Amino acid sequence: MMGLMTAVIVVCKELLNFLPNIELVSFWFIMFTLFFGWKIVFVVPAFVVIEGFLYGINQWWIMYLYVWPILVLAAYLGRKQDSVLFWSILSGTFGLLYGALCSLTYLLFFISEKGARAGLYAVFNWWVAGLYFDIIHCVANFLIMFFLYTPVRRMMEKMQFISKPDEKERKNE
Amino acid sequence: MEKKKNKKGLIAGAIGLAALVLIFAGIAFAFRKKPVEGSKSVTIEVVNQSSESENYQIKTDAEFLRQAMEDAKSQGLTFSGAESEYGMMVDTVNGIRADYTLDSAYWSFYVNGEYCNYGIDEQPVMDGDKFSIVYTQAQ
Repeated sequence: MMGLMTAVIVVCKELLNFLPNIELVSFWFIMFTLFFGWKIVFVVPAFVVIEGFLYGINQWWIMYLYVWPILVLAAYLGRKQDSVLFWSILSGTFGLLYGALCSLTYLLFFISEKGARAGLYAVFNWWVAGLYFDIIHCVANFLIMFFLYTPVRRMMEKMQFISKPDEKERKNE
Repeated sequence: MEKKKNKKGLIAGAIGLAALVLIFAGIAFAFRKKPVEGSKSVTIEVVNQSSESENYQIKTDAEFLRQAMEDAKSQGLTFSGAESEYGMMVDTVNGIRADYTLDSAYWSFYVNGEYCNYGIDEQPVMDGDKFSIVYTQAQ
């Protein structure tokens, strides 16, 4: 199951790669966290390692080490929520703050290279340069979750029953 | 009662997110790089894999780097690359290819010694700017 989850995330990411900051990775990480709970702990590093193999390990890869765990942790903490609006807001907020989260890595690199003041200035410019893409990320994440949450959740609930017929029977009793 | 409270919280959250989007858009607009129109003196330096550099000093009205590089073609600069949603991703300069997937190398772009935050189609050109295009081996 964990291999399947990783495959779904990687394939969806590669399929939508041509669209700037429109992705299904956030959506699947949230949905899988809701359905499979702690098992997602193994999927995040698997996804990060595969991406490292695909694109080479560089500064962006360090960001992946913490941005996705932060999203998964947020989803896990809110797992009792069942509102489509709640998950849309969470996913949208993650998209909007994605650049800010990633800039933390650059902050360390820039400060070590240029010193504190010039480093902060450089990282601020880097963050501002990507803000429009963060807004696209936010809107796309919000809409994807808003429209896909209910049908995918229903489908996953059905699949759970298929894989665990005993539970279905128990529920019918 | 609890459900009503939760609904109010969600609506407040949605409004908060929308407000944050507007604030971020405002920051992006306020701090955007503003290109200057008119005649500008610009230097474009190309540093190849052997650290040999070639300089092109041009007068240009280009607002963005790509146009300035086009203008430098009259002095012998050549470049090509793949078009993407972010503009051209340059992979070949002066006949030297640095394709990340094929060569584990890429062309880094600097303006006045600072790493360019924009692609060549969006990188503003100011009078007196010095651009460096540097062959960079991935580590």
